[in-house]
Amino acid sequence: MPVAHKTLSDLLDEVALKILMIEPGDLSIVGELLDLIDKLLPGNAAAEIPMVIQRMAVAFKGALEKIIMGELSDSAENYDLLGQCVVEMQESARKGGQPGEKIIERFCFNLQQIGVALQPSVLLGLTGVDSAAPEKDAAEDETGAEEECAVASAQIDSVQAQGVAAVGPTQEALPDFLQDTDLLAGFIEEAFEHLESIEVNVLELEQSPDDLEIINNIFRPFHTIKGVSGFLNLKTINRLAHATENLLDDVRNGQRSMDSAVIDIVLTVGDALKSMVVDIKGVLQNGPANYQDPDISGFLADITRLQEGEIGPMPGDSAVLSAPDFSPEVFEPEETEVVASEEPATAAPSMPIVARAAQGGVFPGAVQSQISPAARPVVDSGMKKFGASIKVDVEKLDALVNAVGELVIMQSLVRQNRLVSRIADAKLTKDFSQLTRITSELQRTAMSMRMVPIKQTFDKMIRLIRDLAKKSGKKVDLIMEGAETEIDRNMVESIYDPLVHMMRNSVDHGISSPADREKCGKPETGKVSLRAYQKGGSMMIEIEDDGEGLNTLKIRKKAIERGLVGESDNLSDFELNNLVFLPGFSTADRITDVSGRGVGMDVVKKAVEKLRGKVEVQSQPGKGSLFMIRLPLTLAIIDGIIVRVGSERYIIPTIAIQESVHPERKNYSTVHGRGENLMVRGELVPIIRLYEIFSVPSTYTDPCDAIVVVVENEGRRRALMVDELLGKEEVVIKNLGGLDVPGVAGGTILGDGRVGLILDLAGVIADRAD
Amino acid sequence: MEAASVAQRSGQGAELAGKYLTFSLGQEGYGVGILSVREIIGVMEITAVPHTPAYIKGVINLRGKVIPVLDLRLKFNMSHKEYDERTCVIVVEVQGQAAPMQVGMVVDSVSEVLNIVAGEIEPPPSLGSSSETENIMGMAKVKGEVKILLDVDRVVGEGLLQQLSS
Repeated sequence: MPVAHKTLSDLLDEVALKILMIEPGDLSIVGELLDLIDKLLPGNAAAEIPMVIQRMAVAFKGALEKIIMGELSDSAENYDLLGQCVVEMQESARKGGQPGEKIIERFCFNLQQIGVALQPSVLLGLTGVDSAAPEKDAAEDETGAEEECAVASAQIDSVQAQGVAAVGPTQEALPDFLQDTDLLAGFIEEAFEHLESIEVNVLELEQSPDDLEIINNIFRPFHTIKGVSGFLNLKTINRLAHATENLLDDVRNGQRSMDSAVIDIVLTVGDALKSMVVDIKGVLQNGPANYQDPDISGFLADITRLQEGEIGPMPGDSAVLSAPDFSPEVFEPEETEVVASEEPATAAPSMPIVARAAQGGVFPGAVQSQISPAARPVVDSGMKKFGASIKVDVEKLDALVNAVGELVIMQSLVRQNRLVSRIADAKLTKDFSQLTRITSELQRTAMSMRMVPIKQTFDKMIRLIRDLAKKSGKKVDLIMEGAETEIDRNMVESIYDPLVHMMRNSVDHGISSPADREKCGKPETGKVSLRAYQKGGSMMIEIEDDGEGLNTLKIRKKAIERGLVGESDNLSDFELNNLVFLPGFSTADRITDVSGRGVGMDVVKKAVEKLRGKVEVQSQPGKGSLFMIRLPLTLAIIDGIIVRVGSERYIIPTIAIQESVHPERKNYSTVHGRGENLMVRGELVPIIRLYEIFSVPSTYTDPCDAIVVVVENEGRRRALMVDELLGKEEVVIKNLGGLDVPGVAGGTILGDGRVGLILDLAGVIADRAD
Repeated sequence: MEAASVAQRSGQGAELAGKYLTFSLGQEGYGVGILSVREIIGVMEITAVPHTPAYIKGVINLRGKVIPVLDLRLKFNMSHKEYDERTCVIVVEVQGQAAPMQVGMVVDSVSEVLNIVAGEIEPPPSLGSSSETENIMGMAKVKGEVKILLDVDRVVGEGLLQQLSS
């Protein structure tokens, strides 16, 4: 049971984080969200996932799709409502798939607010899900969603009208997209990948034209490119991708078939997009001086023609169309001109592919696969020139780090070999120390390859804060420090979502409106600081605002309501504030002021803990809050103390260790002859006998003979009883090859080649608490 | 009816025919499909992992990779036998939850690689609903000896999953 529910709650957490990231107008994340939701749908979902949640997912997906299609408004309010739906799904999952009527009703109500009619009976399985879907559609047309629909469709219309009407190059986009060169560079890399994948999938589609999965695979890259280019103000690319996406969407919905006309246009547009991206790269390298926005009106007109049902041959190219499958448009004189007109604008090495193909005398009937090889070198040479970095598969990197770790161990094994160590040869000793230097240098380099500055993540926050502030009518200064601090590559992506959540909190709820701030005697511009620095073996990220702070009274009230603390419990403000990280402490009902889209802070805490980090909040009412995230510098290595218990060796993370002592009898006490405590610096600390919970024979059974290591985890101190301290070492963490054991975070290979287990203190302490 | 079951049987046999690594546990001979075997190593020091069933002996370092090792005797509820110089660990690759994973199986001794043809394979005996027979793909009679053909994905994969949810 725990396995299934873990994955379900993890999935829902991911969904919750994703929904936080959505900004109206940026549909790329909605696409990602759809992918996540797909995993919860009947048919895809693991059998353990309760049916009711699968049904909720179906309804949820329906709403999302309507938003994507523009049938429902792409507004923050709707996403807020969807966020609450996610919270209700989380709640249902926590209740083991037995949500009460109240949750179901709330879920339905929220969806109804968005404009999706849904009866609770559908969720409870009283009506078939499938038969409900068309019903929903029909109902929705009549209900109050009409207004929103009208607005949304008007927007879409205007986009399309703009697209069709666009004659001649548009110039205004030019300076805009150069604002954020880092993001732009990232987009260029990504766009190439996406465009490559379109080509591959189209070729696959030839084999099985009706495979919806492949059509989806073609749809998604266009969708992503559309989203990101919109975000970066690359209007032309955005418009073209958008139009193509619309066309593909018709195919997805079965409104038209994926015939050769569609395939042709998809490939042509793919090529055109590619050359536009090449152009932009040129601009990035050589400056915007000779950039010209390409003309895409031809493509847009073709797409509209296709959408309007004119599948037949276009005037003048009937001969071309008779060539079976591939891009006739490429060779239409008109189209060639369009693309070729970019040529002067392009940086010299990246001459547009299509134009070159045409000039080079590739004739109609020549198939796409012949163009592609020509296209690739152009793209590749461009990539090499750009930046002095290469992309490496993380797996390869991990393999390298692994191998180097192994090398270090083997080296010390050889060195400790009894025969070898007896050789008293100065040359050998010298060579050995040289070898050691080289291997440790190698290890350092291998490790550092996984590290990147956190700057990129931080930079994304600038925009976020600006947009948030603008939207809420607040004035906020973002102060960033330590953006050059390096962080494990694997962590960058995982830390982004929680960071956004917390930044959003700070602006949405921490900072109040300029007028309110004036009243409190604060400058009207609020301040949010984002700091990163290294402290010991950890990376610290702090988010501080000078806003209102957390309302401990409200938190306390809510906690009591939820049964998290008793009426009479005496909790410090620090403890109370940190209750916001508990699951179920979400603020769907807006009781506390810490929320984002009704999704609880527990998702932040879980995301951080997955990275073996910690998150805490300190807050002073009226003065502001400080969220602190502590992360390990790298996920690959842990700094640990090796302890011996009997014949086993365990590694305790140094970060958690406060001290180790040889207990004296007078400091040792028991409660009712069971609970053992040790007085450490005036504080009673419960003793955990490691040999007991791990069921291994130990040398000592009397704590006063043994050594105790005082550790702290999540505010709880414990004294771990061990036989001996063997030393301190930085060890490479490895998973236990499929074993997942409470109290053990992983394994590592010790100096003698054997496996040592790394303790997971949260697990050890929890084990004892049970 | 008779014909149908024979056809079914031989159909199954054809599917199972192929090369098997055979090994012994006590008096019994077993076989695992050669394609899932990665390597055979001598038994080495195993680090015990707490909170696991007895048949999971722990983890070992396989050239820098930590892999779990389970004792097939204990897994099949046979009596424990001290490890000796003939004791081997067969490292097999099975489908894990996300990616393929490697797992070591401690056996008494490794015998040989046999090419088992369809005609030699019979369906597993029906011993009621015993969960033990679920692990068995079929029985092969080779050179007068019976080899029990194990479904490694079941034996090892299921063994670990069981442990995970305990």
